[in-house]
Amino acid sequence: MSSSPVRPRIALLLLFGLWLATLIVAPLVGSQPVSLADVARGEPSAASIFWQIRLPRVLLALLGGAALAVSGLGFQTLFRNPIAEPYTLGISSGAALGAVLALRFQGGAMLGLPLVALASFAGALAAVSLIVGLALRREGVETSTLLLAGVAVSLSCSAIILFLQYLADSTQTFRMVRWMMGGLSVVGYAEVLWLLPWVLGGAALLLALRWELNLLLTGEEMAASRGVDLGRLRLKVLLATSLMIGALVAIAGPIGFVGLIVPHMLRRLVGHDHLFLAPACFFAGGAFLTLCDAAARTLMAPAELPVGILTALLGGPFFLWLLVWRKSGQ
Amino acid sequence: MTTLLSARNLEWRAGGRTILGPLNLDVLQGECLAVVGPNGAGKTTLLRCLTGLLRPSRGELLFAGRSFATLSRRELARRIAYVPQIRPERVPLKVEEVVMLGRYPHLSPLQIAPRSSDFAAVEEALAVVGIAPLRARPIDELSGGERQAVYIAAALAQESEVLVLDEPTIHLDARHQHDLASLLLRLKQSAERTIVLATHDLNLSSLLGDRLLALAAGRALALGRPAEIVRSEVLEQLFQARFEVVRGGERPVTVLDLGA
Repeated sequence: MSSSPVRPRIALLLLFGLWLATLIVAPLVGSQPVSLADVARGEPSAASIFWQIRLPRVLLALLGGAALAVSGLGFQTLFRNPIAEPYTLGISSGAALGAVLALRFQGGAMLGLPLVALASFAGALAAVSLIVGLALRREGVETSTLLLAGVAVSLSCSAIILFLQYLADSTQTFRMVRWMMGGLSVVGYAEVLWLLPWVLGGAALLLALRWELNLLLTGEEMAASRGVDLGRLRLKVLLATSLMIGALVAIAGPIGFVGLIVPHMLRRLVGHDHLFLAPACFFAGGAFLTLCDAAARTLMAPAELPVGILTALLGGPFFLWLLVWRKSGQ
Repeated sequence: MTTLLSARNLEWRAGGRTILGPLNLDVLQGECLAVVGPNGAGKTTLLRCLTGLLRPSRGELLFAGRSFATLSRRELARRIAYVPQIRPERVPLKVEEVVMLGRYPHLSPLQIAPRSSDFAAVEEALAVVGIAPLRARPIDELSGGERQAVYIAAALAQESEVLVLDEPTIHLDARHQHDLASLLLRLKQSAERTIVLATHDLNLSSLLGDRLLALAAGRALALGRPAEIVRSEVLEQLFQARFEVVRGGERPVTVLDLGA
């Protein structure tokens, strides 16, 4: 927005560098370390681990983290509230419920991705509509209302999911439970290719809406008086974020708090202009989730921790700190 | 003078109650119309209708003869700029960023960066309001008066013919009230802006307004020159409080009459 913002440009460049470095280094890390030289030489076992097992997973983490952080940013600006993100709002739970329903009634395999994804989209959209209906007021949203609405949606979804698990046989139940923890243990590029258009499309739409999102920072009344059609803006942002989250949850299950931590830290680094903030969330969110996943793969090697557990362990305290810090007036 | 903005049988209802109207009003090109009245008279509701932020329950609003219904939000914003009274507590932007956002209705959706005309409009708005030295400051660090000036600059950068202000001088000290009033006077005289403002400050409205609209319970009690409205009979009926006119003439000045 301003004439010559140097700092956000440099910050964005650095974050892109971090993103690239993560893309190259993360596939080397794991229960069995692989060296870049071996991969370059085409040493069979190293190359196979790098190209077939770890790279698709890293790419998935980069896309998934981007989806979480960018949609967290979208929710936070739209609701004018820093605690809004897919997980705290119950959007992830809604998507998860949709996906679990689909898993349950097609026999629990992840093969029918389109059906699971459709159900997951539907769940995410239903949760978003509920939240909007419950919490949206004229000038932003009260933190307490938003939290309660999110908790209510999450609890209801969890209850139904538990019920479905109770009804399922033990293999199905095990799959569902593992999946609900949020993990990125995929093999192959199919999921990556499938997620790519949703994440790129959603992030591009939010970037295209940067003026409107910036205007929302000055209040809804002000934004409307400058010519923003609030109803259509809300619809676009909620649709973009729900599709991104729905697509991700269908593959990786609900992964919490990335959308909370990343945008919050980036505002301090990059500033509040969505022209820089949205791409920054894309790169940093991806790098963050990839690093978390690399840690999840190595901390208890050869066992793998679902990355959702790790992000929740990091995110829970952060979330509490954010609540207390907000209450004490910064 | 030609009519720029008009309301025909305007009515706004909420929860089964009529908050505003029925009301007929013509805002003339280049005039300053001040809306006065007690709390809850519907001043803000009227302003929000006139800016197109509220859709009337009944009646019609026209800009230069064109119905609001045929204008998009952006088209309306190019014609009418609004400075609301209630704003978010925290706005994490710098002064020039807030002013640049006033250019929004002039940006095309495909445009990647602001054009030179946008920067020029921002510069001019900063200069007219006299806040160019503050341009790089975060708006949250400014005083109430400075902040009000920033939002007025943003509305000026919007380059609309009509400027609508809700309680522009509330919470401002005497000096900032003076600065703001003389700014509005300058805008009206040199830039030929049409100004509509709502205020609790009767003397400000008398000094600035070409016409005053006395609004009570959503209806127009009286509409006329300051000398016609700022009279103890009218004010008493309007506010249910006694006033003493301490200076007469075309732009009378009053104080509350406490009977002491």
